[in-house]
Amino acid sequence: MAEITFSGVTKVFAGDVTAVDNLDLHVADGEFMVLVGPSGCGKTTALRMLAGLEEISSGTLSIGGRVVNHVLPKDRDVAMVFQNYALYPHMTVAQNMGFALKIRGESKAEVDRKVREAATILRLSEYLDRRPRALSGGQRQRVAMGRAIVRSPQAFLMDEPLSNLDAQLRVEMRVEIARIQRLLGVATVYVTHDQIEAMTMGDRVAVMRGGQLQQVAPPQVLYDHPANEFVAGFMGSPPMNLVRARTSPSQGRVGLAVGDQRLDVPAAYGASHDLPREEGAEVVLGVRPEDIEVVGGDASGPTLRTCVERREALGAEILVHLSVADAGQARSVAYDEDVAVARPTMLVARMAPQARVEVGDVLTVRLNEERLHFFDGSRGVTLRRERA
Amino acid sequence: MTVSTVGARAPRLTLRRRRQLAGALFALPAVALVVGLIAVPIGQAIYYSFTQWNGLTSTWIGPSTWTQAFHNPNLWTALENNAWLLLAVPFALGLPLLIAMLLHQRVIGWKIFRSIYFLPTAISWVVLGLVAERFFAFQGTLNSLLHFFGLSHVNTNMLGYESTALSALGITFVFTMIGTNTMLFLTGLATLDTSLEEAARIDGAGRWRIFRHITLPHLSRFIQLAFVMTVIALFSALFSLIFVMTGGGPGYATTTMEFLIYQTGFAQGDFGTAALYGLILFVLTAIVGIVQLRLIGSDE
Ligand SMILES: Nc1ncnc2c1ncn2[C@@H]1O[C@H](COP(=O)(O)OP(=O)(O)OP(=O)(O)O)[C@@H](O)[C@H]1O
Ligand SMILES: [Mg+2]
Repeated sequence: MAEITFSGVTKVFAGDVTAVDNLDLHVADGEFMVLVGPSGCGKTTALRMLAGLEEISSGTLSIGGRVVNHVLPKDRDVAMVFQNYALYPHMTVAQNMGFALKIRGESKAEVDRKVREAATILRLSEYLDRRPRALSGGQRQRVAMGRAIVRSPQAFLMDEPLSNLDAQLRVEMRVEIARIQRLLGVATVYVTHDQIEAMTMGDRVAVMRGGQLQQVAPPQVLYDHPANEFVAGFMGSPPMNLVRARTSPSQGRVGLAVGDQRLDVPAAYGASHDLPREEGAEVVLGVRPEDIEVVGGDASGPTLRTCVERREALGAEILVHLSVADAGQARSVAYDEDVAVARPTMLVARMAPQARVEVGDVLTVRLNEERLHFFDGSRGVTLRRERA
Repeated sequence: MTVSTVGARAPRLTLRRRRQLAGALFALPAVALVVGLIAVPIGQAIYYSFTQWNGLTSTWIGPSTWTQAFHNPNLWTALENNAWLLLAVPFALGLPLLIAMLLHQRVIGWKIFRSIYFLPTAISWVVLGLVAERFFAFQGTLNSLLHFFGLSHVNTNMLGYESTALSALGITFVFTMIGTNTMLFLTGLATLDTSLEEAARIDGAGRWRIFRHITLPHLSRFIQLAFVMTVIALFSALFSLIFVMTGGGPGYATTTMEFLIYQTGFAQGDFGTAALYGLILFVLTAIVGIVQLRLIGSDE
């Protein structure tokens, strides 16, 4: 067991592709760290450098205080679970799991004992003599896990280990992997592009984009206090609504112009944000779907007039797609393709299934003023609330 | 009233049975072809081995060919030569395996090497035989090379002596097989999932262990195929090399079964005996094939 430290780790592939750019990341001993980000952001590359399968271009990478930049994979004492499981096809389940121990020179009895122990944890005992091809996807996944845990390594590395499973099995294994990791207390780096896995499994989550680390924080912190517009738009399902707006202060109060509408931001609240004081500065307003409620037309606070465009019933909740009224001339062009919701005039609201909302209804909605987010209009960074 | 007729009527043929029937039906043309092209000639060969044939008419002479043939020392020499040549098979498989492994590691210039190794495959064995003959000849390339490296005193003449001619033939054979077998192994390696090797590296395996536990088991099918093809080539495709390089000599030193058949049938005009030798060769080749099929079948 050991801690893992990336400091200034960069990977440049031939042809000048910077897959990982100056990554600084510390994984504490026993911590479950999730690496998440859109496709091609460098998650796998970061993990492969940690495993020793990919040369490090610059920076230092250490495991348990030892710099491992030039240490061979076999001497790093890490175990990896591959996306396709990479089970040895001609070996039985037991042989697959015991392979690393056998190489290490452990006695047959010892190997046998450890394999059985791991098989019990993973409920694989009855399959020990089977070949991988005679197993279901979920069983294969567990064998891949077993191969990692028998070794009691310094760290577990997992690259989208659940992406080949069906939805239900994925939910099951999500819980299972988290349980085993807690049980064994081994530092784990878990790569996924599924933000639900990231939210539910990680002690902390590192969000990457284009090779660069965006934010590292516990899941709830990431959700409540995203460092920038990208993180805000990436975490959460449906993601945070991001609305282009311009500052429009009047009479000492902070206000925003959203299309033709004026959105009041309570003075006390707005002033404590690092919002631009001048007129007409571009900002992006962020609000989570659950922070939008339908109110009467004369309600106070930050309200917007909207029209219901779509209604999606999900059983436990309904998602209501709202277009912001009178915002016709606002640009409705996605200005950043990486951000899921970038059409400035649409909002998605999460409502209780009882809410009587129909397509075509004109509604006034209020945004929860306690939970507004503001981002710099050009750089996308969060305009921080000043610490009182 | 009974209810027995209400239940689902058992189908006349089970699904499995029907599939088997369909399989047999589809296989019929192939079976007919095999019978026509293999069984009939074998039957003919058996028949001819009981006759004396002068090229026009055949007369039945009973089993005398059989009794005489087994007393012919040349048959035993030829069989012995074939047995010795089997020693070339490990090299004809091992060298290509080594080359394929190296090429697969993408050593510098692997593309060029790949073409070089594959080149012999595209050249007629007659030409290869001629090149080999020039190579081993008394005033040939091998001696020039030895001379060049200051080893003039070890002047060789491998094709000139009974003791070494067969080795020279075996070496040439290995060389002619390198291209095909290397390609076969490269194909096999290309189908190996690289993440298996990576998993093994992380599991602590070094190069040798990865080869032994990952690569070799994966290639076993390809090696078995190469083995069968190589042995069959050795038994039944060496003729052109022998014809060009040694003519079966000196003496009978490089006469294999295959070459003996040719000599007996066409040089001596004894088709009855040649047919018998042909049968023996067929049986030997078939044994290799069957043993091999057993081995392949055993791990399913
Ligand atoms: N061997 C390579 N040679 C050149 N470029 C590479 C290589 N491997 C990855 N890349 C590039 O590096 C970037 C990061 O790739 P990486 O596989 O780490 O992404 P990822 O975050 O794992 O994506 P995904 O979620 O799709 O698996 C991509 O732009 C990719 O094209
Ligand atoms: Mg990946």
